[in-house]
Amino acid sequence: MSAPGGDITLPPLHELELGNGARVLVARRAGVPLVAVRLVISAGSALDPAGAHGLSHLVAQVARRGTARRTGKEIDDRVESLGSELGAGADEDFTYFGLSAPTEFLSALLDVVVDVATAPTFPAVEMDRIRRREIAGLAHVLDEPGAVADRAMISAVYRGHPYGHPTDGRVRDLKNVRRVDAVQFHRKWFSPSSAMLLVVGDVDPERALDLARRKLGRWRSTSAPPPPLPPVAPGPRAVVVVDKRDVTQSQVRVAVPALPRATPYYFPALVANAVFGGGFTSRLVEEVRVNRGLSYGVRSRFAMGRAAGLFFVSSFTKIETTAELLEVILEQAQRFSEEGPTEEELERAKSYLAGLYPLSLETHEQVADRLADVKLYGFPLEDVTCYRERVRAVSADDCREVARRHFPLGRGVVVVVGPAAAIARSLERFGPVEVMPARKVI
Amino acid sequence: MPKTSERPILDLERVVTRELPNGLRVRLLPERSALTVSYYTFFQVGSRNERLGRTGISHLFEHMMFNGAAKYGPKEFDRVLESRGGSSNAYTSNDLTAYYEDFASDALDTVVDLESDRMRSLALTPETLEQERQVVKEERRLRTENSVFGLMEEQLEALVFLAHPYRWPVIGWMDDIERITREDCATFFQTYYAPGNASIYAVGDLDPDRALNVIERSYGDIPAGPRPQPVPQGEPPQKGERRAVVRYPAQAPALLVGWRGPAARSPDCAPLDVLQTALAVGESSRLKRRLVEEEELAVSVQISWGWRIDPGVFVVYAELTPGADRGRAESVLWEEIDRVAARGIGAAELRRAQRLLRSSVLHELATHNGIAHALGQAEALLGDWREAGRALELYAAVTPRDVRRVAEAWLDPGRRCVVTLEPEDVR
Repeated sequence: MSAPGGDITLPPLHELELGNGARVLVARRAGVPLVAVRLVISAGSALDPAGAHGLSHLVAQVARRGTARRTGKEIDDRVESLGSELGAGADEDFTYFGLSAPTEFLSALLDVVVDVATAPTFPAVEMDRIRRREIAGLAHVLDEPGAVADRAMISAVYRGHPYGHPTDGRVRDLKNVRRVDAVQFHRKWFSPSSAMLLVVGDVDPERALDLARRKLGRWRSTSAPPPPLPPVAPGPRAVVVVDKRDVTQSQVRVAVPALPRATPYYFPALVANAVFGGGFTSRLVEEVRVNRGLSYGVRSRFAMGRAAGLFFVSSFTKIETTAELLEVILEQAQRFSEEGPTEEELERAKSYLAGLYPLSLETHEQVADRLADVKLYGFPLEDVTCYRERVRAVSADDCREVARRHFPLGRGVVVVVGPAAAIARSLERFGPVEVMPARKVI
Repeated sequence: MPKTSERPILDLERVVTRELPNGLRVRLLPERSALTVSYYTFFQVGSRNERLGRTGISHLFEHMMFNGAAKYGPKEFDRVLESRGGSSNAYTSNDLTAYYEDFASDALDTVVDLESDRMRSLALTPETLEQERQVVKEERRLRTENSVFGLMEEQLEALVFLAHPYRWPVIGWMDDIERITREDCATFFQTYYAPGNASIYAVGDLDPDRALNVIERSYGDIPAGPRPQPVPQGEPPQKGERRAVVRYPAQAPALLVGWRGPAARSPDCAPLDVLQTALAVGESSRLKRRLVEEEELAVSVQISWGWRIDPGVFVVYAELTPGADRGRAESVLWEEIDRVAARGIGAAELRRAQRLLRSSVLHELATHNGIAHALGQAEALLGDWREAGRALELYAAVTPRDVRRVAEAWLDPGRRCVVTLEPEDVR
């Protein structure tokens, strides 16, 4: 049990390291009679081998399609007949299995979650079917301009880095992946020492810990810790136009490599972003939407992974105003890095973030996810419990410094999805333009 | 379901209600699980209250509500709210327009002041109307014109409804968005944003007596408005399948099917929720198993069955596998629908659906925002906020026979509407 300071109260945390090295964290909360269960493995798409992008994603999807004790159908039948739905997926750093269990079925559902994560058999038939489904799904992704822009942005901003491909992979690579690749990925990276189980909700902690010991404690396997990843350095400004004809609106992204999650600049970054492009009254919303009616939405965000992160702005506008939108975004970034926030903006952003923070810890799932973040990214629990003090301590200078270091000032990438013939030339003033067909992003 | 041992999820005994002399309805629920409050204002107006030539005005007007009033001028609404630790948003549907604020408990008085200010004295300037018109046009380009689903959905609603205003999209037709005038907005405000057409739902860390006092003081002097005209009914019966084709430069085909269903107050709605769950919620649902897993005709299938004031639509959407036989995908879908209409579902399948629905209700009621919204939605669609507490009971009472009956009654092949997406060559 731990009792950190601060005015955000968390339920008492019950932590345990099992004999096999797996970590367990349990918290009992009042509320609806459900229990959030998360089993997280420290292995994600950054570990996808070259030529096999999407492997970790496939491993997560196929793991639930069969284990030593159950077929994929039996897993779905079991979980859903108890009123739950199993989630499985990977991001850059982690693979997640999780569900929300009705309290009375916790034991049976936890059993399934542990089973799929620890003892999948990757049946060949299921592997092939899921691969076909994922490839077909990517064709539909190509019909969503926003999703196309996000994929192109990841590849461009992290070019050459293990984070530099969409987690769900590419058609070409998915076609090449074999069953043995999945088996080996699981054997190599999935083990008790890379696993963390979180159980949060309407549950007696002793009972949950006991369940964890019984279900997860029997897992015997060893794996190497994931290798450290290199940092990402921003290059000079480059423009990528993803050619998509027949759209009447451009999707626009501006991105630059920035901060990993466990950074001492987390709170300054949070506040600077809130002022610049986070909320409804941000500088970007003010200029892009309110003053010029250029878009329905514009926002910025720091996306932070374990080894690296990025800062990005995302928006969209009719084809004719694409360059104007970009002009406004870049000009605002420049201005913010010079002037920083006004006193009024700073106070407003801090009140906004501090006032709303309890809302991000309202449900069992939210608390489980937040605790998982603390443990997995390795930042102090006080970042949660003392959130408000830490937000309030940020100064205007801190914000300006964050912007100066991490905003897209003459660096990073500009990505536009739209008809290249109509827009590419107008984007040359932002940097060297590379045009690629939309098909290349999948 | 073990009903008898269940503690009440939503203790509606504690809801404090009041109707002000000007007709404003107020419902407050103290609930101190988090030190925040969620404050909803529901206006009983949506696209069903519109007319051709002015479609989309409900939604465009929702945008206008954030552009200043007598006390809090342009740009101030969100600034003031954020500086007090809150955030706001709103949405417009076919039936209603809802605004909400989530905030730290001590900002309640400010929120009441902000909301009553705009209900009393919204400013409608030509400049802000022009600006929001441009923003809404971008929103339409985003969600409809450049979205496969958006394009198809617009066609489907126009097939399902010949006469009813559900026929046009909530965001409106592009030409109508262009046509709406400041005068239209002013009339719209007087008619539909009067206190008699509105209800407030606040849930969270609040003292009901004190909150009532503040609300009465702030809203009490807003004059009651005229009674809005009822929406004319009279959709002609459908005499056979209706079809539309969308040709679009897409990568992959898709299938969208709709049947006109019952109105929200019908006892058939809860069994249709169960049917929806049996057919398309979860990997082991009938359609996912058959279309996605076994035959690989689709990469995804979902059903949306949304309760509406007037008869709504039971919608099936399938993203098909590129190259798959579209005719085959359709006939498998018809086969599954016919099967459930002829034979219903088994006891285990019913129990599965009931448990999944129970979890989904519990999720909804796990936050202040979710509870406040559920109360408002229940009153707007069903005429009584207490219905929000009856969802679990309704689902638990559904029998296999009910499910068969509603499938047979509503998903008739002669009354279906089908929209297919045919990918054009991508140039």
